[in-house]
Amino acid sequence: MRTRWLPGILLLALAITALGIAPEAQAFQVRDGQKILIFGARQAVPNLDPHVKTDWSTRTIQQSVYDGLLKYEGNPPKLVPWLAESYSVSKDGMTYTFKIDKRAKFQTGEPVTAYDVKFSFQRIMDLKLGPAVLFMDIVDRESLQVPDIHTFQVSLKKPYAPFISTIPWLFIVSWKQVMANAVDNDYGQKWLMSNAAGSGPFKIRRWEQGNLYELEAVENYWKGWKSPKHIGGYIFKLIQESSSQKISLLKGEADLVEGLQPDDYEAVKTEKGVKIEEHPGVTNFAIKFNNQKGLTANQDIRKAISYAIDYDAFVKIYNGHAVLMEGPIPKTLKGHASKLPVYRTDLAKAKEHLAKAGHPNGGFTLEYVYVAGLEEERLIGLVLLDQLKKLNITLNIVALPWPQMVARGSKIETMPDMMAVFVTPQFFDPDAILSLQFHSGAWGRGYYSVAYYKNPKVDELIDKARVLKDWGQREKLYHEIQRLIVEDAPEVWGMLFNRRWAMRQHVKGFLFSPVHYTGEVDMYQLAIEE
Amino acid sequence: MWVFLGKRLLLVLLTLLGLTVVVFVVSHVTPGDPARLAAGPDASQEQIALIRTEFGLDRSLPVQYAIYLKGVLQGNFGRSIRTRRDVSDDIKVFLPATLELVFFTMGLAAVLGILFGILAAAYRDTWLDHLLRLVSIGGVAVPMFWLALMLQLLIALKFNLLPSGGRLAIAMSPPTTITGFFLVDALLTGNWAAVGSALTHLVLPALVLSSPSLAAVTRMMRADMLDTISREYVVNARANGLPERLIVAKYVLKNALIPTVTLIGLRYGWMLGGTVLVETVFDWPGIGLYAVQSSVAADFMPVMAVTLVIGLNFALANLVVDLLYGVLDPRVRYA
Repeated sequence: MRTRWLPGILLLALAITALGIAPEAQAFQVRDGQKILIFGARQAVPNLDPHVKTDWSTRTIQQSVYDGLLKYEGNPPKLVPWLAESYSVSKDGMTYTFKIDKRAKFQTGEPVTAYDVKFSFQRIMDLKLGPAVLFMDIVDRESLQVPDIHTFQVSLKKPYAPFISTIPWLFIVSWKQVMANAVDNDYGQKWLMSNAAGSGPFKIRRWEQGNLYELEAVENYWKGWKSPKHIGGYIFKLIQESSSQKISLLKGEADLVEGLQPDDYEAVKTEKGVKIEEHPGVTNFAIKFNNQKGLTANQDIRKAISYAIDYDAFVKIYNGHAVLMEGPIPKTLKGHASKLPVYRTDLAKAKEHLAKAGHPNGGFTLEYVYVAGLEEERLIGLVLLDQLKKLNITLNIVALPWPQMVARGSKIETMPDMMAVFVTPQFFDPDAILSLQFHSGAWGRGYYSVAYYKNPKVDELIDKARVLKDWGQREKLYHEIQRLIVEDAPEVWGMLFNRRWAMRQHVKGFLFSPVHYTGEVDMYQLAIEE
Repeated sequence: MWVFLGKRLLLVLLTLLGLTVVVFVVSHVTPGDPARLAAGPDASQEQIALIRTEFGLDRSLPVQYAIYLKGVLQGNFGRSIRTRRDVSDDIKVFLPATLELVFFTMGLAAVLGILFGILAAAYRDTWLDHLLRLVSIGGVAVPMFWLALMLQLLIALKFNLLPSGGRLAIAMSPPTTITGFFLVDALLTGNWAAVGSALTHLVLPALVLSSPSLAAVTRMMRADMLDTISREYVVNARANGLPERLIVAKYVLKNALIPTVTLIGLRYGWMLGGTVLVETVFDWPGIGLYAVQSSVAADFMPVMAVTLVIGLNFALANLVVDLLYGVLDPRVRYA
């Protein structure tokens, strides 16, 4: 009996092993002579509809299958003509006229017309989801005009200088294709979740929900390709865990990954055949104070904490792959005011402000809330705890799941004394930061405005700056706004962590733009050259 | 038999009804604002309010529950507020992947566990017994996430023997859908490349998911075998000169299997729950991974649906185990 079992077991083990040894994916796949890149990403794309969802993973694929009138490229980001070969602005800054490139065509072969642009705009306004927030107060149905089939015109309801900066995120769909696939008056929503009706450089080949999405290059893409060695397509594979991403990259199961832990980037960069793309981002980390309730409603308490923080620790947490914020607007964003009197570690000044606040000996407790599982935020809490101890302030560090944290920040009454928040501006204009985080009109919106900061002068200047046509005039106002905000210390400005992607050496053409969301990749630029 | 079955099915229905109440209450009393989360970080109050209305979150909890229950009875699990997809459609996509993994794991745990248990009992107190006991203690003691990472690092990366995650080789399209189980569908359609790929992708997640169950089955089987071997009727059979193989197969194994079958049945429900971790580490696109992605966004409907599906499977598994008693032990009568 003993001897009869063993050969069977051994055979089974050998068979399984032999199957395993069968040639495994060596990163990119070759199909019909085309090289298909494998992208390992942490976040799925459950809904591809360009007028419903915008997050980094979704936008990576939306950018591939759709075109906008304009496109952000490079660092600093430039607005490059895309579906619109040109645009003009009326003297009063209220009317924008876009000339559609006559070469532009959808993947169905139909030409892209001004009617498609109008339909796309209308669809956003009607659905009132995702990107609609960019246009809701500025544009309505009556604003949209089609003087001729290649000309689209939009008249703003009220002046809004950053309008053109928001245009790249208006992806154009084919109205014929969308309406042909609409069911129960759903505006094509169900169909567009996993299908595309665009004119972009890639088309969907395979859509395995929650697993992978395969896209193939449109060979006769109307805009042409930058490199003859451009990728023939890519597979966006969901790889949730950082450790699994690392293994996939090293094992040759992925060409490009975006979600390694800081230590893992250090570990893989010395591996043969691997390189790291690293660029300063615009996602800033802030510790938002509750400016309306509790001890942190007192400006001197906020300043005391701002001076107490160990700022070097912000950078050390990222092993040096980050730079300190120097005010409310990132250095990489236009409108940043240099030489602001920002806070840096100075315990003497911290004690001075504590005394001014009527608490010279500390002796109180504050609450710091962060997202459970985010190691950086936990470490910052520990650094803060250590520093505040020197002021005899006790820190209560609370980790909350993301939904509960957002709920805490949704009201002044429940907002903790301090909350750790990462913020990414949606478009490349100071207004994307100032009006959503530092204008009291933003209270109760989303969760970027959880500081509940209010300074009537700041409100007034933000309102004034966003309607001015002249950038020079706007910039002056933005510099003044930043000085006022820094003086009020509504939050602790932390760091801008560098965005990093790990990839095989054969991946070329990676083009970073800070306006992209964390992890987002412009696949159109990529080539594979061995 | 039929009365017993009817009563048990009624009990299953009542259990599931109770489960809907529990999961609904737990989901809705947990702090969080799904509409705010779904609307995004810079959404206007108008957008948040519209989403709240669209998904009925502005209604009272009893009304929301009544609508939910009515939908569930019609096979409609509602819509995900995060993705706006029909949850029933998502479950149809993700459930087969989980069931394939769980059935494969159960098979692995049952076959290997029973085999190891028999071997350990047959060679009691030899090196083989000690080795198998070490394996069974390790299976319970080692955390699954650690085991998963170690297997990925050693088997997938270091020795390059098996893939590190997923259900199929990345460039391979799934076989024609018949059951939704890639391995079975590939076999049925004669797609041998897919058979190999599906099998190799199953091994590591199944090993991890099976480790605690394999250990438990081995220990249970060993103990029951030893207990049965010492019974008088076995001694009597030996005294009558029956061959050892017949004694073990017919008289010992069958009787020793009864508690083990119960255990395997109970482990089925546990394994379904355990897929949450295994699917996340191995990027196995099943309902466990789906539940994780939904829960971090306070997306109630998918989480409730997954809980109900697991609850239903658990209840049905228990019922099947009860019915199997009759097959294994003719003395059992259903009244």
